[in-house]
Amino acid sequence: MKGKTLMKSLALGLLVLAFAVTAFAADTIKIPVASPFTGQLASFGEGVKNGAMLKAEEVNAAGGVNGKKVEIVLGDELCDPKEAANVATKFAADSDVSIVVGHLCSSATLAALPIYKDAKLPAISPASTNPTIGKSSPYYFRNVYMDDFQGSFLAKYVKSVKGWEKITIFYETNDYSIGLKDAFIAEAKNQGLKILGTEAYTNETTDFTPQLTKFRAMKPDALFIPGYAPQGTLIVAQAAKLGMKVGFFGADGIDDAMMLENPDAEGLFVTTPFLADNPNASDVTKAFVKGYKAKFGVEPNWFAANTYDAVGMAVEAIKNVGADREKIRGYLAGIDSPGKAYVGVTGPTYFDANGDVIKGAFVKEIKGGKWISSQKQL
Amino acid sequence: MHQNLLDSVSLLGQQLVNGITLGSVYALIAVGYTMVYGVIQLINFAHGEVYMMGAMLAFTMVTSFKISFWISFPVAIVMCSILGILLDVVAYRPLRRAPRLAALITAIGMSLFLQNFALLIWGSQIKAFPRQTLPAVFFKPAVSLGDIVVTWLQVFILTVAVGMMIGLHAVIHHTKVGTAMRAIAQDKVTASLMGINVNRVISFTFAIGSAMGAVAGVLVGIYYNAIWPTMGYIAGIKAFAAAVLGGIGSVPGAMLGGGVLGMAEVMGAGYISSAYRDGIAYAVMILVIIFKPSGLLGKSTVAKV
Repeated sequence: MKGKTLMKSLALGLLVLAFAVTAFAADTIKIPVASPFTGQLASFGEGVKNGAMLKAEEVNAAGGVNGKKVEIVLGDELCDPKEAANVATKFAADSDVSIVVGHLCSSATLAALPIYKDAKLPAISPASTNPTIGKSSPYYFRNVYMDDFQGSFLAKYVKSVKGWEKITIFYETNDYSIGLKDAFIAEAKNQGLKILGTEAYTNETTDFTPQLTKFRAMKPDALFIPGYAPQGTLIVAQAAKLGMKVGFFGADGIDDAMMLENPDAEGLFVTTPFLADNPNASDVTKAFVKGYKAKFGVEPNWFAANTYDAVGMAVEAIKNVGADREKIRGYLAGIDSPGKAYVGVTGPTYFDANGDVIKGAFVKEIKGGKWISSQKQL
Repeated sequence: MHQNLLDSVSLLGQQLVNGITLGSVYALIAVGYTMVYGVIQLINFAHGEVYMMGAMLAFTMVTSFKISFWISFPVAIVMCSILGILLDVVAYRPLRRAPRLAALITAIGMSLFLQNFALLIWGSQIKAFPRQTLPAVFFKPAVSLGDIVVTWLQVFILTVAVGMMIGLHAVIHHTKVGTAMRAIAQDKVTASLMGINVNRVISFTFAIGSAMGAVAGVLVGIYYNAIWPTMGYIAGIKAFAAAVLGGIGSVPGAMLGGGVLGMAEVMGAGYISSAYRDGIAYAVMILVIIFKPSGLLGKSTVAKV
C-alpha cells in the first residue's frame, strides 16, 4: 500500500518536472552550433563545443539575453558536405532559430551556404577559411581570416624566417586545402620560391608513400601540407619512414593535439588564428584562457576561441535587435568599422562588405612534444 | 644526365617496394573473400570488419593491457578466427539453405553491426600504435640501396604474407581438411554423403580466412600508423576488387589480384595522377574483367544444373 502511494507521488512529481522542463525549454533562445562532433575531425569539434558552451554558461550566469537563457543546440555534420546540408536544412526550417554558428570545414560551409541564403538565416562561421564564402552570400559572416591571407602569409614566413627555397605541396582534394594551396603558390611566385611539385590525396587515404616517394626524389627543403591533422600526422610519419629529412609546415587545419603524439612531427610549424600562450594578449583573452583551462583542463585551441567569440556576437545581436533573422543580419553587417568592433578574446572583430574579418595570423611549432609559439612572428 | 637516370631508377625502385607492400596487404585480405566464396559461394561483406577488429584488438592489448606486440599479434589472430567462426554460426549457417541473396544481406548486416560496435567501444578517431610498443627493429632499414629504402617492417609484411600464402596452399592441397574444402566447393551434398562434416569444414574456412584478415589489419595498422572503426570498409572493397580481378574462388588468383591492384594504385599515384589513384586502380580492374570476365586466374565455370 505504502509503496503504491510512493510510486504515485513519484510519478506525479516526474510529470510536474516534465512540464516545468518543457515550459523552461520554450523560454530559451536557441543558438545552433554546427560542426563535426564525431568522425575524423571530432577533436576540432571538441574545441567548438567547449567554446560555445563556456560562452553560453557565462551569458546565462549573468542573467541571459533579454530575460531568457541561451541554449546551445549542437548539429553534428562530420565535416561532410552532404551531412552539413541536412543539418542546415533542419536549422533553416526551425522558426525558433534566428542565427547559426558554424560550420567548421569550408566544404561543409559551402554546402550549407545556399540553404541559409534561401532561408534568409544569418550564420557566423568560426573556422571556415575558404575565400569564396563571404562573397557568395550576404547572410554568411565569419570570425576567421581567409586562406588567401593565410596562404600568402605562409609563403612570406617560409621565405623570410625559414629561408627555404624549394617547396613541395601535398594537398587534400577539398575546398579548404585547394584554396590554401592556390593562395600559397600565388604568393610563392612573388617571393621567388620554387614549387618543385604538387600532389593530391583524398581523405580516405592512409597510404601516402607513392606521392612521398615522388617528393623525395625532388629533394625539396620543405613539404607544405595544407590539409587536416588526421592525414597530416600520417604524412609526416610516412615521410620519416622513407627517410625524408625536410621541414614540414601546415596551416590551421594541422593545429591539433593529435600531432603531438607523433615523434616525427618535432619542428613542424603551423599558422593559427589564436595563441593561448601569447604574452601580448589582452586582459579579456587572458581571463578566457584561465576560465577555459579551469573548466576543461586544457588550453583553448583556436576553434574554441573563435567559436566563443562567434557565439558572443550572436548573443549581442539578439540582445540588440531581438530574434529576427533579417534584423540580426542587418546588425552584424553594421559592425563594419574598427570603432564599432565587437571586443572578443580573438581581438576586436568587425566585418568588411563581404562579411569577412581582417585578423592577423600567428605561428606556432612543435618543440619537445608541445605546441609553443614561435620565436619569430610576422 | 647520368644522375637523372639514376634518380628515376631509384624512384621506380622505391615505388615498386611501395607497391609490393600495399599489394601483399590486399592479397592477404582478398584471400579471405575468395576462400569463403570458393567454398559456399557467399561474398562475406563482413570480412573487412574482421580485418579492422584484428587491428583494434591488437591495439587494445598493446596499449591498454601493455602486452608485448609479439604476444598481442598472435592472440589477435586467434580472436579473429573465433570471430570468423561466430560470424558463420550466427549469421550464415541458419541461412545455408536459403536463397543466396539472403545470406548476402546478413553479411552486410554483420558488417554494419561490427562497424558500429567498434565505434561504440573505441570511438571514431584515428588511432596509432605508439612507437615504443612496437619492436624497434621494424623501423630500421633492412636494405638501403642508394635512395631505395626497405625497412624491416616491409620485409616482415612481405615475409608474413608470402609465408601465409604458402602455408595456405599446403593446407588446401596436402591436408585432409583441405581436400574436404575442395570437395565441398565442388558439391556440398555429395561431400556430406561421403561423410564430410560440412559445417565444421566451413567453420574452418572462416577461421583461416579471418586469421589472414587479422594479420593484414595489424600489419596495416603498424605500417600506415592508422586504425579506425571504418577502416575495413574501403580496404574490404579494394580487396574484394582484388579477389574478383584475380578470379574469385581462386587462392593464387587472390594473391595475384592483390599484387596487381596494389601496384596499379601505387604506379597510378606515382606516375599518372595522385588525385585519381583509386580511379586508376579500379580502371585496371574493369579492363581485366572486360577482357577476361572470370578474372586473371579464374576458371570460366560452366553453370551447374
